[in-house]
Amino acid sequence: MRHYENLVIVKPTLTEEEIKSQLAAIKDIITSNGGEIKVCNDMGIRKLAYPIEKSVRGYFYVIYFTMEPKNIAEIERRYRINEELLRFVTIKYDSKREVKAWNDLVAKTEKLSAKTEEKAPVAPAETAETAETVVAEEAQAEEA
Amino acid sequence: MAERRKYKKRYCKYCEAKIDFIDYKDVASLKYSLSERYKIMPRRLTGNCKRHQDMVTISIKRARSAALVPYTVSRKEVVVNPFENMK
Repeated sequence: MRHYENLVIVKPTLTEEEIKSQLAAIKDIITSNGGEIKVCNDMGIRKLAYPIEKSVRGYFYVIYFTMEPKNIAEIERRYRINEELLRFVTIKYDSKREVKAWNDLVAKTEKLSAKTEEKAPVAPAETAETAETVVAEEAQAEEA
Repeated sequence: MAERRKYKKRYCKYCEAKIDFIDYKDVASLKYSLSERYKIMPRRLTGNCKRHQDMVTISIKRARSAALVPYTVSRKEVVVNPFENMK
């Protein structure tokens, strides 16, 4: 098993559910080819440095996984078939130093995702509340 | 002269920070070795050591293929700010 990292850019024109199902399909490709997904990093929609297939933005998603080297060609073939993927980048972490870096990156993203998960249940409620209060204040202002 | 003086003191920034591996997704750390036209800066100007320059080059090329860093900036299509989503 070798350490790998995959960055995929999904078309941003899809709806949220479609993006989610795309990502699920990508993960399924990896796991069905004997890969073990360690951690995923959701970078969200960001601007591309240059337009790809006429789209200016893209949904970035990073997957860290371990896999037998011979299966990489198969998953890349599957990615190429998928038209909703703008770009994918596969990085191999081979040497001792690179594997260490891989472990560090995994730990970092795990921390990040834990943080966002902690925040996630609280944050939407808070923003919803603040949004409501703002609306209420605006309404009051309008009334006044 | 001003240009030259800017690069006068030569030492490897990456050695000083004791960086063992440069992640291509971390665009902020690559920015130092890129010119304003997003070319890779030569070692004689940045003062990077050979070891780190090799690492930087590889990760810049990876970042380019991942559309995180532009290949070129032309005058016709001015990129507003490619690093706008870097915080």
